[in-house]
Amino acid sequence: MRKNKSVLLSVPYILWMVAFTLIPLCVVGYYALTDPDTGAFTLDNIRDLEMYMPVLGQSVLYSLISAALCLLLGYPVAYYIAHRTPVMQKILYMLVMLPMCMSFLLRTLAWVGLLQDTGIINNFLDWIGVGRIQLIRTPGAVILGMVYNYLPYMILPLYATLVKIDNRLIEAAEDLGCNSLQTFTKVILPLSVPGIFSGITMVFVPAVSTFYISQKLGGTDTVLIGDLIERLFKQGDNPNLGAVLSLVLMALVLVCTGIMNRLGKDEEGGVIV
Amino acid sequence: MKKANRVLTILMFVFLYIPMVVLIVASFNTGKDITKFEGFTFAQYGELFRDKDLLGLLGNSVLIALLSTAISVAFGTLAAVGIHSLKPKMRKAVLSLTNIPMTNPDIVTGVSLSLLFVFVGTGLLNQRESLNFGTLLLAHVTFGLPYVILNVMPKLQQMNPALTDAAMDLGCTPVKAFFKVIIHEIMPGVVSGGIMAFTMSLDDFVISYFVTGSDFVTLPVEIYTYTKKPIHPKVYAMFTLLFGLIFVLMLTMNLLQLRSDRKKASKRPVSRGWKIARRWVAGVAAASLVVGCGFLFANGRQEKTVLNVYNWGMNMADGTDGTMDLVAEFEKRYPNIDVRMSEYESNEVLYSKLKNGGISVDVIIPSDYMIHRMRNEGMLLELNFDNIPNFAYVDEQFKNPDYDPENKYSVPYTWGTVGILYNTKYVDEADVTGWELMWNEKYAGKILMIDNSRDAFGIAQYLLGYSVNTTDKAELQACADKLAQQRPLVQQYVMDQIYATMENEEAYIAAYYAGDCMLMMEENEDLAFYLPEHQGFNLFTDAMCIPNCATEKEAAELFINFMCDPEISGANMDYICYASPISAAKEYMEDYLAESEIVYPDEELLNKGTSYQFLSEETSRYVESLYQGATKINSVSTEEEPSGKPIVWVAVAVLAVGGGTWFLIRRKKKKH
Amino acid sequence: MSKELIRLRDLTMEFDGERILDGINLYINDHEFLTLLGPSGCGKTTTLRIIGGFLTPTEGTVVFDGECINDVPPYKRQINTVFQRYALFPHLNVFDNIAFGLRVAKMPKEEIEQRVNHMLEVVSLKGYGHRNVSSLSGGQQQRVAIARALVNEPKVLLLDEPLGALDLRLRKDMQNELKRIQQATGITFVYVTHDQEEALSMSDTVVVMDKGRIQQIGKPEDIYNEPKNAFVADFIGESNILDGIMLADYKVKFFGRTFTCVDAGFEPNEPVDVVIRPEDIDIVEPDQGHLVGTVTGITFKGLNYDIIVEFKGFKWLIQTTDFHPVGAVIGIRLNPEDIHIMHKSEYSGMFGDYSSYSAEYDELTEDAGDEEE
Repeated sequence: MRKNKSVLLSVPYILWMVAFTLIPLCVVGYYALTDPDTGAFTLDNIRDLEMYMPVLGQSVLYSLISAALCLLLGYPVAYYIAHRTPVMQKILYMLVMLPMCMSFLLRTLAWVGLLQDTGIINNFLDWIGVGRIQLIRTPGAVILGMVYNYLPYMILPLYATLVKIDNRLIEAAEDLGCNSLQTFTKVILPLSVPGIFSGITMVFVPAVSTFYISQKLGGTDTVLIGDLIERLFKQGDNPNLGAVLSLVLMALVLVCTGIMNRLGKDEEGGVIV
Repeated sequence: MKKANRVLTILMFVFLYIPMVVLIVASFNTGKDITKFEGFTFAQYGELFRDKDLLGLLGNSVLIALLSTAISVAFGTLAAVGIHSLKPKMRKAVLSLTNIPMTNPDIVTGVSLSLLFVFVGTGLLNQRESLNFGTLLLAHVTFGLPYVILNVMPKLQQMNPALTDAAMDLGCTPVKAFFKVIIHEIMPGVVSGGIMAFTMSLDDFVISYFVTGSDFVTLPVEIYTYTKKPIHPKVYAMFTLLFGLIFVLMLTMNLLQLRSDRKKASKRPVSRGWKIARRWVAGVAAASLVVGCGFLFANGRQEKTVLNVYNWGMNMADGTDGTMDLVAEFEKRYPNIDVRMSEYESNEVLYSKLKNGGISVDVIIPSDYMIHRMRNEGMLLELNFDNIPNFAYVDEQFKNPDYDPENKYSVPYTWGTVGILYNTKYVDEADVTGWELMWNEKYAGKILMIDNSRDAFGIAQYLLGYSVNTTDKAELQACADKLAQQRPLVQQYVMDQIYATMENEEAYIAAYYAGDCMLMMEENEDLAFYLPEHQGFNLFTDAMCIPNCATEKEAAELFINFMCDPEISGANMDYICYASPISAAKEYMEDYLAESEIVYPDEELLNKGTSYQFLSEETSRYVESLYQGATKINSVSTEEEPSGKPIVWVAVAVLAVGGGTWFLIRRKKKKH
Repeated sequence: MSKELIRLRDLTMEFDGERILDGINLYINDHEFLTLLGPSGCGKTTTLRIIGGFLTPTEGTVVFDGECINDVPPYKRQINTVFQRYALFPHLNVFDNIAFGLRVAKMPKEEIEQRVNHMLEVVSLKGYGHRNVSSLSGGQQQRVAIARALVNEPKVLLLDEPLGALDLRLRKDMQNELKRIQQATGITFVYVTHDQEEALSMSDTVVVMDKGRIQQIGKPEDIYNEPKNAFVADFIGESNILDGIMLADYKVKFFGRTFTCVDAGFEPNEPVDVVIRPEDIDIVEPDQGHLVGTVTGITFKGLNYDIIVEFKGFKWLIQTTDFHPVGAVIGIRLNPEDIHIMHKSEYSGMFGDYSSYSAEYDELTEDAGDEEE
């Protein structure tokens, strides 16, 4: 009897989530399959998709590179933080969190000031006699922007899994003859796999859909799928095509996170024990 | 190994904090340029506190964050209890529903919600303004809820189920058991979920960007508009203050927690966490209530008519640089009207905002061809010229124009030309021969192209000698090819961003509107303006109209009338540097402008300019898609990039991803 | 006698200025089963971790087979550990957990297979190789942990409260199992526990520790019969501890009465602690007793009754198979060999008074020692 009553509490929530997550996606689907002018059913929007495939490929490529770089940079940092004293851990964790709370628009804009041809870095290079180099409006700048913005999203889940690893497991490995490298590859790394996957997901998803970073740091060659969607909705007066691209982006992300979850899941049970 | 990690960690923090240091330093800069520190000052902070709009935006952000957090926490906690008692299968289904907004890219969530709101609001309910404060709040609650649920659920699962039984055994009703026992157990989850929802909401840009209407704008969304223009350093001052505030907040929270942890460790486990949490929640709830009431009160008290004016960026005198603040002046003359300005970047942005519905504005200032298009599509209201007596001041040649032959819908605001702005320091005068300058490989990477399909095609059409109003698909295709050919040379496709880029000499050549070019030339003496008269150029008129989504037509007409006052028009031109369609305004303009060849080209030159006409829906869309193809997704140039860098990147990514997968698959196989 | 394998010399350990170990001197012989016994916080786990190489002592040396190994990292020591609550690798199955050390040592595949399978048999887990470790019961996990350590054929096996998480029945079985394995393999076991019964029943040598110091080293029987001070007397079994005065050799006076005992070598009139084990006391008719007291409490214990008897305001615990109701007046007799005399120590007066006796006393000591770092 009691159980039944508290079950009722979930009903408004379920209705809410259906209304504001599932139905909107259906509306996107509806737009995707209709003509912008007449509102009639059409597959033209989907046919137009082909033209945009290179952009999609480029977005995926950049965000995968960013995720890989975040992992390479973030892992040692997360590892380092996880092995500090509790007080230090709190402080460092806070310092990683802090940038996430500040406007990412302005922080990215600061990178423009740093990287542009007449920017701080180039002014400095010019002053010491190296000469100016092209930094901004390169794929590298876009990837830097992604790594910069989403690195904390990699560090935090990695830290969370690394800090949970029972120190006795590490001692057990040492006890059984592992040197520190072997301890890392045989015990710590496999145990941190769930953190790695959730980190990759948390970097990949926002990176693949970003539009601000590429607008500010990218050049004319680094247009990403997010740019196109934003453009189609905000100025291209073709929300229907934008809807198709949104669906494609969503499908892509769902497939990627699905794979990540699948791969990461089995390990998860282990860490909780 | 450990040393390497330490060095890497330090470097990572340097990397994370350098941009913030740049912004903080910029807030103390006397100059506007972020890259050059000209002198130390606190003046920007003074500016910040005088800027009620900016502080109001911050208030808006805090308000929406508090309200949405309060709702998410209350709703989400109850829902979590409900979900917890669902059957496992059902629970799993609901949790995957919860995961949708978490895993979906923000842009998709934003797009889907905005489509839903417009679809329901405009399409089904016939609302005038289907995107508003309410929809923004709905959106924020929707993405805040999962954070609460996902933080509370584990606490419920960890909780000993016997606790509830024990409470009821001792005489609690289920509701009482919830408040006396369960809530203590799950409080840490509620608090951390609430904090996450709050920060996400406060900082959200992407979703808000898509669901914001004109009545209520949050700070991040407005900052996005700011970052497209030369940004005022007071924004950096605000960043610095917020940074300090958040830093102190986080530090104290951590210290408090640390202290309570220590106490817990040393003494008996008092539910101090709960006490802190309760204080927090109470504080947040009280604050949101106060702010919310304040907001509603302020709104309720406002008997003023709110007039929403939707204008180009930097297209109306606002009191800076010694000009007249037109909005203030208007409000002084009509104290019952409260003017709210918002900005668009191009005719196309304006059009799609209005077309896609969702916002309500009263006055818009599109260009000629766009007025024609909107008129065609019934998007404009007929003006009541009885309310606009100052229309009499408008020069005859601007009355009854092609785009509005009976002059029912529009009153001209400015007119001007599109030409080339170039930096004489870097550009050889000999190269300044015509529109081909925009294609000159010598200046590759230093050319800015105007970022809207109509102007971009226009430039190609003048260069190729086609009519700017052609509908011939072959000609349009040729223009697109020309633009695609230009793409590798272009530094950026810009609208308002042109200011910063040209002024600090990041780029040397740009095609843009004459008035804006005048403004930039005032900032940087090396800039010069050129009209390729032998090839032709665009002569445009921007005119004030009232869109059919307007709610305050009469006030809008008062505003239009006000803008036609020659004195006001003249003062306005002093700031925006365009030509007024009201000759009488020249008297009130500064002489150098009134006499400027650029602002008022002579009759002979003017005859060589042409206006854009509206072509057709179909052609517009065709041009738009050609433009997208030529400037945004020219795949050929990307893949044949001569530099080897991308290949290295590709190799790194493939290796990393492939290695990871291989590692996993190998382990999988071993397991089975 | 077998040769000495490990020697700890003047070990001192400090954490944040707090002294955890204070001058530990100890030698461990080859093939020996040695137990470090003590309450939580006594330093026994710290000592074990120093031997394992997970901690470096603040002062003093650890000598293994004649060589100082203070600076040898754990993975280079011929010592393996069975950790508190096992520390099994959750990402590996049973077989891989056991094979872990052999794989690190790059042993040929066939040999690993053979040795792991043999080990699975030894710990009675044949056929469990492919099971996930988290699916095993506590006892099974325990045996995996032991197998994982033993398969490397270490010189010394360190066991840190290995049976702490098991229920009573299983604990008894595993005690026998461990003893059997130790005898079969001949490996030196260093065993840490707070359970005196476990220590007494399994060990060759028991080391009783408290407050970072060794209180007594000896064979289980010696420790029980000849406790060195009040702490040991109380910690090992139950004891009534009384203040007395050693009048001369074999003569001790307490409760105003002189008793004959079997101890000698004290100063004349030296104040001493007198230990009388509850099971050694004979109950007689009041008129025949050395002392006469009143029964104030009685608890049925299965094999016997625990009765509390008050003598002149001091309460004793006596174990008897006969029933004596509360209020009954009884006499007791003490034989000379039942009286054990100890020098006064810092522990004098802290233990051995059953005035506040409660039936749960033995459970209390069991729970206390779980968490120790």
